[in-house]
This record gives sequence, structure tokens and C-alpha cells, in this order.
Amino acid sequence: MTTSRRQHTLEVLVENEPGVLARVAGLFSRRAFNIETLNVGPTADSSISKMVIGVAVEGHSLEQVIAQLDKLVSVISIKDVTGKGKEVHDTQPDYQN
Amino acid sequence: MAHIPTANGTAMTGATSLVKSLEAADVEVMFGLPGGAILPAYDPIFDSSIRHILVRHEQGAGHAATGYAQVTGRAGVCIATSGPGATNLVTPLMDAAMDSVPLIAITGQVPSAAIGTDAFQEADIRGITMPFTKHNYLVTNPDEIPGVIAEAFHIATTGRPGPVLVDIAKDALQKMTTFNWPTSIKLAGYNPKTTPDAQAITDAAALIAQSSKPVFYVGGGVIKANAHKELRQLVELLVAPVVTTLMARGAFPDSHPLHMGMPGMHGTVAAVTALQKADLLITLGARFDDRVTGKLSTFAPNAKILHADIDPAEIGKNRHADVAVVGDVRETISALIPALKAALAKNQPDLSTWMRQMNSLKSTYPLGYDQPDDGSLSPQHVIQRLGQISGTDTIFTAGVGQHQMWASQFISYEHPRTWLNSGGAGTMGYGVPAAMGAKVGAPDATVWAIDGDGCFQMTNQELVTCALNNIPIKVAIINNESLGMVRQWQTLFYEGRYSNTNLESKRVPNFPMLAESMGCVGLSCERPEDLDKTIEKAMSINDQPVVVDFRVHRDAMVWPMVAAGTSNDEIMIARATAPDWDSQEL
Ligand SMILES: Cc1ncc(C[n+]2csc(CCOP(=O)(O)OP(=O)(O)O)c2C)c(N)n1
Ligand SMILES: [Mg+2]
Repeated sequence: MTTSRRQHTLEVLVENEPGVLARVAGLFSRRAFNIETLNVGPTADSSISKMVIGVAVEGHSLEQVIAQLDKLVSVISIKDVTGKGKEVHDTQPDYQN
Repeated sequence: MAHIPTANGTAMTGATSLVKSLEAADVEVMFGLPGGAILPAYDPIFDSSIRHILVRHEQGAGHAATGYAQVTGRAGVCIATSGPGATNLVTPLMDAAMDSVPLIAITGQVPSAAIGTDAFQEADIRGITMPFTKHNYLVTNPDEIPGVIAEAFHIATTGRPGPVLVDIAKDALQKMTTFNWPTSIKLAGYNPKTTPDAQAITDAAALIAQSSKPVFYVGGGVIKANAHKELRQLVELLVAPVVTTLMARGAFPDSHPLHMGMPGMHGTVAAVTALQKADLLITLGARFDDRVTGKLSTFAPNAKILHADIDPAEIGKNRHADVAVVGDVRETISALIPALKAALAKNQPDLSTWMRQMNSLKSTYPLGYDQPDDGSLSPQHVIQRLGQISGTDTIFTAGVGQHQMWASQFISYEHPRTWLNSGGAGTMGYGVPAAMGAKVGAPDATVWAIDGDGCFQMTNQELVTCALNNIPIKVAIINNESLGMVRQWQTLFYEGRYSNTNLESKRVPNFPMLAESMGCVGLSCERPEDLDKTIEKAMSINDQPVVVDFRVHRDAMVWPMVAAGTSNDEIMIARATAPDWDSQEL
């Protein structure tokens, strides 16, 4: 099955603490959300790190990803910073259905 | 958080700081079992005002803390050592996450220098429990202990309640620190929204006033939020049917004429059909679990959804919400009552046809069961009499299986927090330890664990704990000598091939003897004519735990049933028997 899903880029500020990457990665894996890209870096505030996460989901699923991420106590804020009109074509089977 | 402990600013070990922190968090009881890594904490526990109940298995500690929490509404606390002690808490933590229970687990960890070396009894319990704790911690610096404990209680008990684990390295317990209980808690990433938006309330009231077939779909959140009184006011304002899920039994009185019963896989015909035929579900603290919805794509096909929940991630997770109200459900209902009054004043829908249809279903398809032909004991009858004789102030817990479903069906629940079970996780073995915790939380109440012969063999060791600590619970083993619920599925879906479900528990173990050996009174009942007097005998014993082996017919099945993965429209009231839909005006 070929599906067309928009890649969304989320900018996620997290507490800079051991295990925070595992929390975020674990959430994506157990909720069957696909991470396409993931970057972690520092911010001006050394107690806060920034994750930039690329996810290929739409509408309702995107809301779920954000709502579930937001439940992590270590997640401080989530911003959808998706660039305009960047359509990605996914030729992989759609495991989420 | 209200008071500043006198110990503030004093030098002490991390272990003492932990115990002082638990005292500052107003903990009155904890359930646990020591071992090397947590041992430093057990020394100050010896002197603490907090009652520590020594369990026989850490799983028992976890479920006991859950039972305590479910009955009192406070956080339950369990404590264990590293490695296997901590992993024995995994099931109760997962159970508490599924049923939104405020549970605090404290575990010892190997010394910080040894972490990551596969040290003796090292397990990454923080990593293991990430998927099913609301949050968890690994503490290696003793100065952080009071702050972390304060945060843990705050997180566990506010917003949507849930389990929090605090893993503390042994050296952090041993080192010296200065105790400093925080005066306030600030968590940048945690800010549960409790007060609903005014606009959402207005929209919700308007949606209700426009509907002609509304149903109150009530979940466990209503009990968690202590919103049962407000719920009743709201229901009586609209005069519409109510269903209470497995986690919400007792949130609305079973005796109330508007109560249609429990929905879901083993729900009543009236409750299941109410959801299927509704044009609006007024969803309060419920989460569209698959055991309620059946096949999701055919669930309540004509209904709009009003979804009120404290957890924003539940909105739209399984079913799109037409109007979402995020907030504490008690605040939500309180705000909804005047808003609905105003909306109804403008437009009072006529619900009389709908109510007539629902009442007709309710009276045509009451819950029922057949007495066995051979004169043996019927499990449903045993459970029904337990409820009737023990009365509506009794707290019931259950294991998981047929006996659990019958206990949810054939006992009339009139008050919140009188029905405790493992809903989301379906944890066999929950019943006895949860009853122990419930009795500790409500020592004046009669507490009955209705357990299966299979479940009982998973956690009965806590009866020793009960006997030695003056926790006189009562246990009714519904002994059908089978893993009955699994056997029922084999009867229905595997041509009666009973692979590994025969427990032979009318031969071994001898339950009354087992009970006696653990310091309990052991009773047995096999004939219907002995039923009432056996229950009365058990009711008369209040200084010791009592275990009754009710030896029941093994072939009884739980009905109605919506088979897993099928539509609620395919509800069966007995084997191959659907309700007579043609005779119903729907
Ligand atoms: C820990 C655990 N293991 C397995 C199951 C699957 N299971 C669900 S009900 C059940 C049978 C329980 O038997 P029993 O306690 O005798 O209750 P009954 O159904 O006979 O009333 C089993 C094995 C489970 N829910 N939990
Ligand atoms: Mg059984």
C-alpha cells in the first residue's frame, strides 16, 4: 500500500536529564508512532535540551503524537515547525492501520 | 505540603531523609519487603510513625497499596529492594497505570558506582517501568530525596492519577545530607488542567439539549474525582439513561431507575444497546476501551460524542469527540449543571420515547442465570447472596475471570469505592492483596475478596500477612476447578478442547486447610442449602481472616457476551441466542 503522509517536524524542549531520550523514543515505539528523523542538541539553558523530531503522520494522529508526548513530565513544550508544502511519499507498508 | 516538617534543615542520612519525606507527605502506611539495596531505609522505618506492613511477596505490596489507594483516594505506597524485589512490582505498576491509581513505589538500587556493571541484584527498574509509570526517578544524590518524593506524590495524585516509581541508589541512602522539604513544587513539563473552558461547557450543554437519545457513559474517572453526587444531580436534571463501566461500578447507584447497568463485553443488553442506539454519548471520565466499544468501527454508530476527561490525550484517541471538555470531571459536571439548566430552559428535548425503549430493554433482558440441573452450587447465586447478605457498605475486590464478571453483575453497588478490580490490566492475583490494602484503608468496613480458584493460587500468601497484622479480610473462592474464563472461550471458540484450563482444585489444594495453615479460618460450602449459613458464619468472624471454598458448578458461563473483536450489535444473551430485536421498538 502506498500512502501519502505529510512529514511534520516537531521541536520539543525537554529536561536535560539522563533517560530523557529513552522516554521519548520509548513513547514513539510503544504507541506505534514512526520517527523519521531525530536530532538532539543543547539550548542556551543547560538544564533544557532541544529535540527536533520528524514524524510522518496527519491530522488526528499528529494530535495524538503531540498529546502523548506532552504527557511525559520531562517534556516542557512542543512546537510544530513544519516547513511549508513539503509532501513526502511513503512507499512502506502502513503499519499503523 | 501544607506544613513544614520540624526536621527541616537537620543533618541526617539519605535513608532518614527518605522516611522524613514520606512522613512529610502524610503517609500513614506502606507495604513492603526489605533487601540489601533498600536496607538502609529500613533502619529509620523501624522508628517511624508510618505503619510498615511486611508482605510475603512484593507483588502483594503493590496491589495492597493500590487497594488502599482505591478505597481512600490517597496515594498508596509500596517499597522493595533492587533487582527481583523491584521487578516483582512491575505487574502492580502496570496495573495501576491502566486503572489510573495513585501508587508510589520506592525501590533500592545498587550503589551508584556499580550501576551499569551487572552488579548483584541490579535491574534497570527505571528503564523497565518507563512505559507504565506516569513518571519515574533514579536518585543518586541524597540531597534530592525530599524534592523527588514531594514531586512523586504531586504527580501521582494530581491530574489523571497514576503510578510513580522512585529508585534510590544505596549510597544515596547511606550518605549524609541536610533534610529540606520543599515549600512548593514547580515542574515545567507538568501542569494538569483541572478547570474546564467555559466555552466547552456551553458547547457541551447545547449538544446535550439538542439530543433526543442521550446516554451517560460513566467511567472510573468519576470515582477518582469524587464526582458521584454531582453526577447524580446532572443525570436527574436531564433524566436520561446511565451506564457505568467496570471501573465505574458504584459511581451511580445500581438501584437507581435510570441505571441501565454495565456496558461492554459482559454488559447488560440495555447498557450495550443504549450506547449503540444513542445519538449522544455524554462521556465522563471514560476512555472508549475496547472491552466497552467492541469493534470500534461499529460502536455507537449514530452518536455524537461529548468527551469529558482530565487527560487531553484520551480525547480523540479511540473515537473522535464532537465536543471535548478537558478538566477535572467533578469541576466539569458542576459547571455543566447550571449550563444545562439554562440550555434546557430554551429547549427541553422530549426523551420519553427513548426512555420507554430503554426501560423496555431493561425489563425484558435483566441479568440472569440458570441453576445447575444436578443440584450443585451456582457461582452466580453464591455471589448474589454474598452481596445481599453482606450489604451495600461492604467493599468487594475481585480477581480476574468469570467470578470477576459475575461479581460486577450480580452485586448491587450503591456507593463509590466499594468495588475494586483490575480493569485495564486484568491482573489475576489482584483480589487478595487489594482486599488487604482496602481493609487497612477502611478498617471498619467488611471487605470481601471474591476470587477465582486460579487467581487465589497466585497471591494467597498475603493471607499470612493479613493474619499476622490483624487485617481480617474475607475471601470467597469461587472454585470451579478451572481457569474458568479461558475455559469459557474454549467452549465457545475452540470446540470444547480444554487445553490446560483444568486446575483440579477440588482435589488439590485443600483450600480450607491451606487457609488454616496461614492463620485464617477455613470454611467450605458445596450445597445450595448450606450457602446462607456459611456466609453468615464467615460474616460472624471478625478477628481473623476467613476463607470460604465455594465449590461451584464448573460449566456456568458469563452472559451476556460480545465476543472479542465483534460488534456490540452482536451481543448474545446465551449461547447462540441474540436478543429478540424484532419485538423491541428501537
Ligand atoms: C496474570 C494473568 N495470567 C493469565 C491471565 C488470563 N486469564 C484471564 S481469566 C483467567 C482464568 C482465571 O481463573 P480463575 O481465577 O479460576 O477464575 P474463573 O474464570 O474460573 O472464575 C486467565 C488464565 C490473566 N488475566 N492474568
Ligand atoms: Mg476458576
